[in-house]
Amino acid sequence: MSDNDNDDVRTDGSGTGIVSPDDETPAWSERKERTQGLSRLTYEYFERARREDQDLRQQSDYVERDVLAFPAWPHEMMRNIALTSFFVGMILFVSATLPPEMPNPANSSVTPAIILPDWYLYWSFGLLKLGPLNPDLSILGGSKLMADRTYGVLANVVVVGFVAIVPFLNKGSARRPVEQPFWAAVGMSGVIFSLTIAALSIKNLVPMDSHLLFDLTFLVPIVSATITYAVLKTMREGYMFDLNRRYYRLRPPK
Amino acid sequence: MSLERKDEHDHKGWMESRELTPVESVYLTVLVWLDRRLRIVDYLEILEDLYYKVNMQMPKSHTEQYNLDNKFWYWYPLYALGSFSTVAYVVAAISGALLGFYYAPAAAAADGSPTIAYDSVLLIMGQLNLGYFLRSVHRWAAQIMVAAVFLHMLRVYFTGAYKEPRELNWLIGIVLISLTLVFGYTGYLLPWSQLSFWAGQIGVEMSLSIPLIGEWVAQLMFGGFTLSQATLQRMYILHVFFLPFITTAIIAVHIGIVWMQGIAEPH
Repeated sequence: MSDNDNDDVRTDGSGTGIVSPDDETPAWSERKERTQGLSRLTYEYFERARREDQDLRQQSDYVERDVLAFPAWPHEMMRNIALTSFFVGMILFVSATLPPEMPNPANSSVTPAIILPDWYLYWSFGLLKLGPLNPDLSILGGSKLMADRTYGVLANVVVVGFVAIVPFLNKGSARRPVEQPFWAAVGMSGVIFSLTIAALSIKNLVPMDSHLLFDLTFLVPIVSATITYAVLKTMREGYMFDLNRRYYRLRPPK
Repeated sequence: MSLERKDEHDHKGWMESRELTPVESVYLTVLVWLDRRLRIVDYLEILEDLYYKVNMQMPKSHTEQYNLDNKFWYWYPLYALGSFSTVAYVVAAISGALLGFYYAPAAAAADGSPTIAYDSVLLIMGQLNLGYFLRSVHRWAAQIMVAAVFLHMLRVYFTGAYKEPRELNWLIGIVLISLTLVFGYTGYLLPWSQLSFWAGQIGVEMSLSIPLIGEWVAQLMFGGFTLSQATLQRMYILHVFFLPFITTAIIAVHIGIVWMQGIAEPH
Protein backbone atom coordinates (compact mmCIF):
# COMPACT_ATOMS: atom_id res chain seq x y z
CA MET A 1 0.00 0.00 0.00
CA SER A 2 2.77 2.37 0.86
CA ASP A 3 5.20 1.23 -1.78
CA ASN A 4 4.64 4.26 -3.98
CA ASP A 5 4.66 6.86 -1.22
CA ASN A 6 7.78 8.50 -2.54
CA ASP A 7 6.89 8.36 -6.20
CA ASP A 8 5.36 11.21 -8.10
CA VAL A 9 1.64 11.63 -7.98
CA ARG A 10 -0.05 9.17 -10.27
CA THR A 11 -3.59 9.50 -11.50
CA ASP A 12 -3.65 6.48 -13.75
CA GLY A 13 -5.59 4.34 -11.28
CA SER A 14 -2.61 2.35 -9.98
CA GLY A 15 -1.77 2.55 -6.30
CA THR A 16 -3.92 4.57 -3.99
CA GLY A 17 -2.77 7.81 -5.57
CA ILE A 18 -3.26 9.48 -2.23
CA VAL A 19 -0.99 12.26 -1.10
CA SER A 20 -0.27 13.53 2.36
CA PRO A 21 -1.18 17.16 2.73
CA ASP A 22 2.34 18.01 3.87
CA ASP A 23 5.58 16.40 5.02
CA GLU A 24 4.68 16.47 8.72
CA THR A 25 1.63 14.30 8.30
CA PRO A 26 2.64 10.67 8.92
CA ALA A 27 1.77 8.12 6.27
CA TRP A 28 -0.57 5.29 7.16
CA SER A 29 2.22 2.75 7.59
CA GLU A 30 4.19 5.06 9.85
CA ARG A 31 1.09 5.63 11.93
CA LYS A 32 0.67 1.90 12.42
CA GLU A 33 4.31 1.06 13.02
CA ARG A 34 4.30 3.40 15.99
CA THR A 35 1.40 1.66 17.70
CA GLN A 36 1.83 -0.73 20.62
CA GLY A 37 0.22 -3.89 21.97
CA LEU A 38 -2.60 -5.65 20.22
CA SER A 39 -3.03 -3.13 17.47
CA ARG A 40 0.66 -3.45 16.68
CA LEU A 41 0.21 -7.22 16.59
CA THR A 42 -2.78 -6.88 14.29
CA TYR A 43 -0.72 -4.69 12.03
CA GLU A 44 2.10 -7.21 11.85
CA TYR A 45 -0.26 -10.06 11.12
CA PHE A 46 -2.01 -8.20 8.36
CA GLU A 47 1.26 -7.16 6.83
CA ARG A 48 2.16 -10.86 6.69
CA ALA A 49 -1.24 -11.75 5.26
CA ARG A 50 -0.88 -9.10 2.64
CA ARG A 51 2.54 -10.35 1.69
CA GLU A 52 1.08 -13.84 1.29
CA ASP A 53 -1.53 -12.49 -1.07
CA GLN A 54 1.19 -10.67 -2.92
CA ASP A 55 3.19 -13.91 -3.28
CA LEU A 56 0.17 -15.78 -4.53
CA ARG A 57 -0.57 -13.05 -6.99
CA GLN A 58 2.96 -13.14 -8.34
CA GLN A 59 2.88 -16.91 -8.68
CA SER A 60 -0.34 -16.84 -10.66
CA ASP A 61 -0.78 -15.32 -14.09
CA TYR A 62 -2.64 -12.41 -12.58
CA VAL A 63 -1.72 -9.25 -14.51
CA GLU A 64 -2.15 -5.78 -13.12
CA ARG A 65 -4.00 -3.66 -15.62
CA ASP A 66 -2.48 -0.34 -16.46
CA VAL A 67 -4.97 1.77 -18.40
CA LEU A 68 -4.04 5.40 -18.58
CA ALA A 69 -7.25 7.26 -17.92
CA PHE A 70 -9.10 9.26 -15.35
CA PRO A 71 -10.36 6.79 -12.72
CA ALA A 72 -14.12 6.40 -12.55
CA TRP A 73 -13.88 5.85 -8.81
CA PRO A 74 -13.71 8.03 -6.84
CA HIS A 75 -13.04 11.02 -9.08
CA GLU A 76 -16.06 10.73 -11.31
CA MET A 77 -18.40 9.24 -8.74
CA MET A 78 -17.86 11.70 -5.92
CA ARG A 79 -18.97 14.48 -8.18
CA ASN A 80 -21.66 12.40 -9.80
CA ILE A 81 -23.37 11.59 -6.52
CA ALA A 82 -23.70 15.28 -5.74
CA LEU A 83 -24.87 16.01 -9.27
CA THR A 84 -27.34 13.12 -9.15
CA SER A 85 -29.21 14.51 -6.19
CA PHE A 86 -29.33 17.91 -7.83
CA PHE A 87 -30.43 16.38 -11.10
CA VAL A 88 -33.24 14.25 -9.66
CA GLY A 89 -34.44 17.31 -7.79
CA MET A 90 -34.42 19.20 -11.07
CA ILE A 91 -36.54 16.53 -12.78
CA LEU A 92 -39.07 16.65 -9.94
CA PHE A 93 -39.14 20.44 -10.04
CA VAL A 94 -39.61 20.62 -13.80
CA SER A 95 -42.36 17.99 -13.76
CA ALA A 96 -44.17 19.80 -10.98
CA THR A 97 -43.95 23.10 -12.85
CA LEU A 98 -44.61 21.93 -16.39
CA PRO A 99 -47.06 19.02 -16.33
CA PRO A 100 -47.82 17.22 -19.61
CA GLU A 101 -50.90 17.96 -21.66
CA MET A 102 -53.19 15.30 -23.01
CA PRO A 103 -54.16 15.40 -26.71
CA ASN A 104 -57.55 14.20 -27.93
CA PRO A 105 -58.14 10.45 -28.15
CA ALA A 106 -56.98 8.63 -31.26
CA ASN A 107 -59.23 9.28 -34.22
CA SER A 108 -58.46 7.91 -37.66
CA SER A 109 -61.16 10.03 -39.35
CA VAL A 110 -59.75 13.36 -38.14
CA THR A 111 -56.33 13.84 -39.68
CA PRO A 112 -54.46 16.58 -37.81
CA ALA A 113 -53.15 19.45 -39.91
CA ILE A 114 -49.63 18.63 -38.84
CA ILE A 115 -48.64 15.03 -38.19
CA LEU A 116 -45.51 14.76 -36.11
CA PRO A 117 -43.69 12.34 -33.86
CA ASP A 118 -42.16 13.51 -30.58
CA TRP A 119 -39.38 16.07 -31.01
CA TYR A 120 -36.46 13.67 -30.79
CA LEU A 121 -37.64 11.82 -33.90
CA TYR A 122 -38.00 14.95 -36.03
CA TRP A 123 -34.66 14.27 -37.71
CA SER A 124 -35.78 10.79 -38.69
CA PHE A 125 -39.12 12.10 -39.88
CA GLY A 126 -37.35 14.78 -41.90
CA LEU A 127 -35.26 12.10 -43.64
CA LEU A 128 -38.50 10.58 -44.90
CA LYS A 129 -39.11 13.81 -46.79
CA LEU A 130 -36.04 13.50 -49.00
CA GLY A 131 -38.13 12.34 -51.96
CA PRO A 132 -36.85 15.11 -54.27
CA LEU A 133 -33.32 13.67 -53.93
CA ASN A 134 -34.44 10.21 -55.04
CA PRO A 135 -32.74 9.89 -58.45
CA ASP A 136 -34.67 9.37 -61.69
CA LEU A 137 -32.80 6.90 -63.82
CA SER A 138 -32.69 7.24 -67.58
CA ILE A 139 -32.40 3.48 -68.01
CA LEU A 140 -35.71 3.15 -66.20
CA GLY A 141 -37.28 5.71 -68.52
CA GLY A 142 -37.13 8.51 -65.95
CA SER A 143 -38.98 6.56 -63.28
CA LYS A 144 -37.58 6.33 -59.81
CA LEU A 145 -35.42 3.45 -58.72
CA MET A 146 -37.27 2.99 -55.45
CA ALA A 147 -40.29 4.47 -53.74
CA ASP A 148 -39.70 7.79 -51.97
CA ARG A 149 -40.65 6.24 -48.68
CA THR A 150 -38.12 3.44 -49.12
CA TYR A 151 -35.55 6.06 -49.99
CA GLY A 152 -36.33 7.92 -46.75
CA VAL A 153 -36.04 4.79 -44.62
CA LEU A 154 -32.74 4.00 -46.33
CA ALA A 155 -31.52 7.52 -45.48
CA ASN A 156 -32.02 6.67 -41.82
CA VAL A 157 -29.89 3.55 -42.18
CA VAL A 158 -27.19 5.54 -43.99
CA VAL A 159 -27.05 8.25 -41.30
CA VAL A 160 -26.90 5.79 -38.38
CA GLY A 161 -24.43 3.63 -40.28
CA PHE A 162 -22.11 6.55 -40.91
CA VAL A 163 -22.18 7.55 -37.24
CA ALA A 164 -21.41 3.95 -36.30
CA ILE A 165 -18.29 3.61 -38.46
CA VAL A 166 -16.72 6.91 -37.41
CA PRO A 167 -14.19 5.23 -35.03
CA PHE A 168 -13.02 3.05 -37.88
CA LEU A 169 -12.51 6.00 -40.21
CA ASN A 170 -10.95 8.46 -37.79
CA LYS A 171 -7.84 6.86 -36.34
CA GLY A 172 -4.99 8.34 -34.34
CA SER A 173 -4.70 9.79 -30.89
CA ALA A 174 -6.00 13.31 -31.56
CA ARG A 175 -8.68 14.19 -29.05
CA ARG A 176 -9.61 17.83 -29.37
CA PRO A 177 -11.40 19.68 -32.12
CA VAL A 178 -8.33 21.85 -32.75
CA GLU A 179 -6.21 18.79 -33.32
CA GLN A 180 -8.56 17.47 -35.98
CA PRO A 181 -10.33 20.37 -37.68
CA PHE A 182 -11.69 18.11 -40.41
CA TRP A 183 -13.53 15.78 -38.07
CA ALA A 184 -14.72 18.63 -35.92
CA ALA A 185 -16.14 20.19 -39.09
CA VAL A 186 -17.80 16.89 -40.02
CA GLY A 187 -19.32 16.73 -36.54
CA MET A 188 -20.47 20.32 -36.74
CA SER A 189 -22.15 19.72 -40.09
CA GLY A 190 -23.83 16.67 -38.57
CA VAL A 191 -25.16 18.67 -35.64
CA ILE A 192 -26.42 21.46 -37.89
CA PHE A 193 -27.88 18.94 -40.34
CA SER A 194 -29.84 17.26 -37.56
CA LEU A 195 -31.31 20.66 -36.74
CA THR A 196 -32.08 21.66 -40.33
CA ILE A 197 -33.55 18.28 -41.20
CA ALA A 198 -35.72 18.59 -38.08
CA ALA A 199 -36.82 22.01 -39.35
CA LEU A 200 -37.61 20.38 -42.69
CA SER A 201 -39.85 17.83 -40.98
CA ILE A 202 -41.94 20.67 -39.50
CA LYS A 203 -41.90 22.70 -42.71
CA ASN A 204 -45.59 23.55 -42.31
CA LEU A 205 -44.62 25.49 -39.20
CA VAL A 206 -41.55 27.21 -40.62
CA PRO A 207 -42.42 30.57 -42.21
CA MET A 208 -40.33 30.00 -45.32
CA ASP A 209 -40.78 28.80 -48.87
CA SER A 210 -40.49 25.01 -48.65
CA HIS A 211 -38.13 24.77 -51.65
CA LEU A 212 -35.81 27.31 -50.06
CA LEU A 213 -36.04 25.40 -46.78
CA PHE A 214 -35.15 22.18 -48.61
CA ASP A 215 -32.08 23.79 -50.17
CA LEU A 216 -31.01 25.40 -46.90
CA THR A 217 -31.29 22.02 -45.16
CA PHE A 218 -28.21 20.92 -47.08
CA LEU A 219 -26.52 24.26 -47.58
CA VAL A 220 -26.37 25.48 -43.98
CA PRO A 221 -24.51 22.36 -42.69
CA ILE A 222 -21.89 22.71 -45.42
CA VAL A 223 -21.41 26.42 -44.70
CA SER A 224 -21.10 25.83 -40.96
CA ALA A 225 -18.65 22.99 -41.56
CA THR A 226 -16.51 25.29 -43.68
CA ILE A 227 -16.56 28.01 -41.04
CA THR A 228 -15.69 25.52 -38.29
CA TYR A 229 -12.82 24.17 -40.35
CA ALA A 230 -11.45 27.62 -41.08
CA VAL A 231 -11.67 28.78 -37.47
CA LEU A 232 -10.05 25.67 -36.05
CA LYS A 233 -7.29 25.69 -38.66
CA THR A 234 -6.55 29.28 -37.74
CA MET A 235 -6.50 28.58 -34.02
CA ARG A 236 -4.45 25.47 -34.41
CA GLU A 237 -0.88 26.75 -34.72
CA GLY A 238 -0.57 28.96 -31.68
CA TYR A 239 -2.76 26.77 -29.57
CA MET A 240 -0.98 23.51 -30.26
CA PHE A 241 2.43 25.06 -29.68
CA ASP A 242 1.69 26.10 -26.12
CA LEU A 243 -0.09 22.92 -25.30
CA ASN A 244 2.49 20.52 -26.64
CA ARG A 245 5.35 22.33 -25.01
CA ARG A 246 3.79 21.88 -21.59
CA TYR A 247 2.58 18.38 -22.31
CA TYR A 248 5.83 16.89 -23.59
CA ARG A 249 7.85 18.42 -20.80
CA LEU A 250 5.79 16.42 -18.32
CA ARG A 251 5.48 13.24 -20.31
CA PRO A 252 8.12 12.80 -22.97
CA PRO A 253 7.03 10.69 -25.94
CA LYS A 254 8.29 7.12 -25.95
CA MET B 1 0.24 -38.72 4.35
CA SER B 2 -1.78 -36.57 6.64
CA LEU B 3 -5.21 -35.42 5.60
CA GLU B 4 -4.83 -32.34 7.73
CA ARG B 5 -4.52 -29.15 5.74
CA LYS B 6 -1.03 -27.74 5.60
CA ASP B 7 -0.50 -24.27 6.96
CA GLU B 8 1.52 -22.98 4.03
CA HIS B 9 2.54 -19.76 5.63
CA ASP B 10 3.23 -21.35 9.01
CA HIS B 11 1.28 -18.95 11.20
CA LYS B 12 1.73 -21.39 14.09
CA GLY B 13 5.48 -21.37 13.81
CA TRP B 14 5.45 -17.61 13.51
CA MET B 15 3.37 -17.30 16.70
CA GLU B 16 5.63 -19.74 18.59
CA SER B 17 8.72 -17.89 17.50
CA ARG B 18 7.48 -14.78 19.23
CA GLU B 19 7.16 -14.33 22.94
CA LEU B 20 3.49 -13.63 23.38
CA THR B 21 1.55 -12.96 26.56
CA PRO B 22 -1.47 -15.24 27.05
CA VAL B 23 -3.81 -12.39 26.10
CA GLU B 24 -1.88 -11.77 22.95
CA SER B 25 -1.74 -15.41 21.92
CA VAL B 26 -5.48 -15.90 22.50
CA TYR B 27 -6.20 -12.74 20.59
CA LEU B 28 -3.95 -13.73 17.74
CA THR B 29 -5.33 -17.27 17.61
CA VAL B 30 -8.87 -15.96 17.32
CA LEU B 31 -7.81 -13.39 14.76
CA VAL B 32 -6.01 -15.95 12.60
CA TRP B 33 -8.90 -18.41 12.99
CA LEU B 34 -11.42 -15.83 11.84
CA ASP B 35 -9.23 -14.43 9.11
CA ARG B 36 -8.56 -17.84 7.59
CA ARG B 37 -12.30 -18.35 7.29
CA LEU B 38 -13.68 -14.89 6.60
CA ARG B 39 -10.73 -13.09 5.01
CA ILE B 40 -11.18 -10.10 7.32
CA VAL B 41 -8.02 -8.67 5.93
CA ASP B 42 -9.79 -7.81 2.70
CA TYR B 43 -12.44 -5.81 4.51
CA LEU B 44 -9.90 -4.09 6.70
CA GLU B 45 -8.13 -3.00 3.59
CA ILE B 46 -11.33 -1.37 2.40
CA LEU B 47 -11.68 0.42 5.73
CA GLU B 48 -8.10 1.50 5.49
CA ASP B 49 -8.75 2.87 2.02
CA LEU B 50 -11.76 4.76 3.31
CA TYR B 51 -9.69 6.18 6.13
CA TYR B 52 -7.21 7.45 3.61
CA LYS B 53 -9.81 8.93 1.38
CA VAL B 54 -11.41 10.80 4.25
CA ASN B 55 -8.25 12.03 5.89
CA MET B 56 -5.86 12.68 3.08
CA GLN B 57 -5.92 14.85 0.04
CA MET B 58 -7.14 13.52 -3.26
CA PRO B 59 -4.58 13.19 -6.03
CA LYS B 60 -4.43 16.01 -8.47
CA SER B 61 -7.01 15.83 -11.18
CA HIS B 62 -6.00 15.78 -14.80
CA THR B 63 -6.67 19.48 -15.15
CA GLU B 64 -4.63 20.35 -12.09
CA GLN B 65 -1.78 18.06 -13.01
CA TYR B 66 -1.28 19.56 -16.44
CA ASN B 67 -2.50 23.03 -15.51
CA LEU B 68 -5.12 22.92 -18.19
CA ASP B 69 -8.11 24.51 -16.53
CA ASN B 70 -7.64 27.71 -18.50
CA LYS B 71 -8.28 25.81 -21.72
CA PHE B 72 -11.74 26.29 -23.15
CA TRP B 73 -11.99 22.72 -24.49
CA TYR B 74 -12.11 21.24 -21.05
CA TRP B 75 -15.90 21.33 -20.92
CA TYR B 76 -15.98 19.48 -17.66
CA PRO B 77 -19.72 19.53 -16.92
CA LEU B 78 -20.32 17.86 -20.25
CA TYR B 79 -18.54 14.85 -18.85
CA ALA B 80 -21.53 14.18 -16.57
CA LEU B 81 -24.05 13.70 -19.37
CA GLY B 82 -23.65 9.92 -19.41
CA SER B 83 -24.47 9.81 -15.71
CA PHE B 84 -27.36 12.18 -16.29
CA SER B 85 -28.93 9.87 -18.85
CA THR B 86 -28.50 6.95 -16.47
CA VAL B 87 -30.10 8.89 -13.63
CA ALA B 88 -32.99 9.95 -15.85
CA TYR B 89 -33.36 6.30 -16.93
CA VAL B 90 -33.61 5.17 -13.32
CA VAL B 91 -36.13 7.90 -12.48
CA ALA B 92 -38.18 6.95 -15.54
CA ALA B 93 -38.01 3.26 -14.57
CA ILE B 94 -39.28 3.91 -11.05
CA SER B 95 -42.07 6.27 -12.06
CA GLY B 96 -42.96 3.96 -14.96
CA ALA B 97 -43.28 0.98 -12.66
CA LEU B 98 -45.67 3.01 -10.50
CA LEU B 99 -47.67 4.13 -13.55
CA GLY B 100 -47.90 0.49 -14.57
CA PHE B 101 -50.17 -0.20 -11.60
CA TYR B 102 -52.87 2.00 -13.09
CA TYR B 103 -52.44 1.82 -16.85
CA ALA B 104 -54.39 -0.68 -18.97
CA PRO B 105 -53.31 -1.28 -22.61
CA ALA B 106 -56.76 -2.19 -23.82
CA ALA B 107 -59.37 -1.58 -26.52
CA ALA B 108 -57.51 0.58 -28.98
CA ALA B 109 -60.37 2.03 -30.98
CA ALA B 110 -59.51 4.55 -33.67
CA ASP B 111 -62.93 6.17 -34.12
CA GLY B 112 -62.44 9.09 -31.78
CA SER B 113 -64.15 7.57 -28.77
CA PRO B 114 -61.93 7.37 -25.69
CA THR B 115 -60.51 3.90 -25.17
CA ILE B 116 -59.69 2.05 -21.98
CA ALA B 117 -56.04 2.95 -22.43
CA TYR B 118 -56.84 6.64 -22.91
CA ASP B 119 -59.29 6.57 -19.99
CA SER B 120 -56.75 4.95 -17.71
CA VAL B 121 -54.29 7.74 -18.48
CA LEU B 122 -57.05 10.26 -17.78
CA LEU B 123 -57.73 8.46 -14.51
CA ILE B 124 -54.07 8.67 -13.56
CA MET B 125 -54.04 12.38 -14.35
CA GLY B 126 -57.42 13.26 -12.86
CA GLN B 127 -58.36 10.89 -10.06
CA LEU B 128 -55.21 9.33 -8.69
CA ASN B 129 -53.49 11.09 -5.83
CA LEU B 130 -50.28 12.56 -7.21
CA GLY B 131 -51.01 10.79 -10.50
CA TYR B 132 -50.63 13.95 -12.53
CA PHE B 133 -47.23 14.49 -10.96
CA LEU B 134 -46.25 10.87 -11.49
CA ARG B 135 -47.01 10.98 -15.20
CA SER B 136 -45.24 14.30 -15.42
CA VAL B 137 -42.13 12.86 -13.80
CA HIS B 138 -42.18 9.88 -16.15
CA ARG B 139 -42.59 12.05 -19.20
CA TRP B 140 -39.96 14.59 -18.22
CA ALA B 141 -37.47 11.90 -17.22
CA ALA B 142 -37.94 10.39 -20.67
CA GLN B 143 -37.52 13.73 -22.43
CA ILE B 144 -34.42 14.56 -20.40
CA MET B 145 -32.94 11.14 -20.94
CA VAL B 146 -33.25 11.48 -24.70
CA ALA B 147 -31.74 14.98 -24.61
CA ALA B 148 -28.90 13.88 -22.34
CA VAL B 149 -28.15 10.86 -24.52
CA PHE B 150 -27.93 13.04 -27.63
CA LEU B 151 -25.67 15.54 -25.91
CA HIS B 152 -23.59 12.73 -24.44
CA MET B 153 -22.98 11.44 -27.94
CA LEU B 154 -21.92 14.89 -29.11
CA ARG B 155 -19.49 15.23 -26.21
CA VAL B 156 -17.98 11.82 -26.97
CA TYR B 157 -17.68 12.75 -30.63
CA PHE B 158 -16.08 16.16 -30.18
CA THR B 159 -13.58 15.03 -27.55
CA GLY B 160 -12.59 12.02 -29.63
CA ALA B 161 -13.58 9.66 -26.84
CA TYR B 162 -14.70 7.01 -29.32
CA LYS B 163 -11.12 6.44 -30.45
CA GLU B 164 -8.89 3.50 -30.24
CA PRO B 165 -9.65 1.24 -27.33
CA ARG B 166 -13.25 2.47 -27.20
CA GLU B 167 -14.74 1.66 -30.61
CA LEU B 168 -16.80 -1.16 -29.17
CA ASN B 169 -18.38 1.13 -26.61
CA TRP B 170 -19.22 3.61 -29.36
CA LEU B 171 -21.07 0.87 -31.24
CA ILE B 172 -22.86 -0.19 -28.05
CA GLY B 173 -23.72 3.49 -27.59
CA ILE B 174 -25.30 3.60 -31.06
CA VAL B 175 -27.44 0.62 -30.08
CA LEU B 176 -28.35 2.34 -26.81
CA ILE B 177 -29.34 5.63 -28.42
CA SER B 178 -31.53 3.72 -30.88
CA LEU B 179 -33.10 1.78 -28.01
CA THR B 180 -33.73 5.07 -26.21
CA LEU B 181 -35.57 6.41 -29.24
CA VAL B 182 -37.60 3.19 -29.58
CA PHE B 183 -38.35 3.43 -25.87
CA GLY B 184 -39.67 6.94 -26.37
CA TYR B 185 -41.63 5.97 -29.46
CA THR B 186 -43.35 2.97 -27.85
CA GLY B 187 -43.96 5.15 -24.79
CA TYR B 188 -45.84 7.97 -26.40
CA LEU B 189 -47.98 5.51 -28.37
CA LEU B 190 -49.39 4.10 -25.13
CA PRO B 191 -51.94 6.83 -24.17
CA TRP B 192 -53.55 6.21 -27.57
CA SER B 193 -54.15 9.88 -28.20
CA GLN B 194 -54.04 11.67 -31.55
CA LEU B 195 -50.25 12.03 -31.30
CA SER B 196 -49.93 8.31 -30.57
CA PHE B 197 -52.20 7.31 -33.40
CA TRP B 198 -50.62 9.38 -36.13
CA ALA B 199 -47.08 8.68 -34.96
CA GLY B 200 -48.03 5.02 -35.06
CA GLN B 201 -49.32 5.56 -38.58
CA ILE B 202 -45.93 6.94 -39.62
CA GLY B 203 -44.28 3.90 -38.04
CA VAL B 204 -46.47 1.44 -39.91
CA GLU B 205 -45.84 3.21 -43.20
CA MET B 206 -42.11 3.28 -42.55
CA SER B 207 -41.98 -0.44 -41.90
CA LEU B 208 -44.19 -1.19 -44.90
CA SER B 209 -41.78 0.72 -47.14
CA ILE B 210 -38.82 -1.51 -46.26
CA PRO B 211 -38.08 -3.61 -49.33
CA LEU B 212 -38.77 -7.38 -49.18
CA ILE B 213 -39.38 -7.74 -45.43
CA GLY B 214 -41.60 -4.67 -44.97
CA GLU B 215 -44.88 -6.50 -44.48
CA TRP B 216 -43.30 -8.99 -42.15
CA VAL B 217 -41.83 -6.15 -40.04
CA ALA B 218 -45.18 -4.39 -39.91
CA GLN B 219 -46.88 -7.59 -38.78
CA LEU B 220 -44.23 -8.22 -36.16
CA MET B 221 -43.98 -4.72 -34.70
CA PHE B 222 -47.47 -3.33 -35.20
CA GLY B 223 -49.58 -6.47 -35.40
CA GLY B 224 -50.98 -5.69 -38.84
CA PHE B 225 -51.06 -3.06 -41.56
CA THR B 226 -53.48 -0.78 -39.74
CA LEU B 227 -53.38 0.36 -36.13
CA SER B 228 -55.46 -1.71 -33.76
CA GLN B 229 -55.58 -3.29 -30.35
CA ALA B 230 -52.71 -5.55 -31.46
CA THR B 231 -50.53 -2.47 -32.06
CA LEU B 232 -51.19 -1.06 -28.61
CA GLN B 233 -50.55 -4.41 -26.98
CA ARG B 234 -47.26 -4.90 -28.79
CA MET B 235 -46.06 -1.40 -27.95
CA TYR B 236 -46.99 -2.02 -24.33
CA ILE B 237 -45.09 -5.30 -24.12
CA LEU B 238 -42.11 -3.75 -25.88
CA HIS B 239 -42.15 -0.72 -23.59
CA VAL B 240 -42.60 -2.47 -20.23
CA PHE B 241 -41.09 -5.90 -20.84
CA PHE B 242 -38.62 -6.24 -23.71
CA LEU B 243 -36.90 -2.88 -23.79
CA PRO B 244 -36.32 -2.48 -20.04
CA PHE B 245 -34.45 -5.79 -19.77
CA ILE B 246 -32.47 -5.31 -22.96
CA THR B 247 -31.64 -1.66 -22.32
CA THR B 248 -30.68 -2.18 -18.69
CA ALA B 249 -28.36 -5.03 -19.63
CA ILE B 250 -26.70 -3.03 -22.39
CA ILE B 251 -26.36 0.05 -20.17
CA ALA B 252 -24.65 -2.17 -17.59
CA VAL B 253 -22.21 -3.42 -20.22
CA HIS B 254 -21.65 0.14 -21.50
CA ILE B 255 -20.88 1.48 -18.02
CA GLY B 256 -18.87 -1.62 -17.16
CA ILE B 257 -16.59 -1.01 -20.13
CA VAL B 258 -16.22 2.66 -19.14
CA TRP B 259 -15.32 1.45 -15.65
CA MET B 260 -12.68 -0.92 -16.97
CA GLN B 261 -11.20 1.48 -19.48
CA GLY B 262 -11.53 4.67 -17.46
CA ILE B 263 -12.90 7.97 -18.65
CA ALA B 264 -11.32 9.08 -21.90
CA GLU B 265 -9.82 12.48 -21.25
CA PRO B 266 -8.93 14.85 -24.02
CA HIS B 267 -5.15 14.63 -23.93
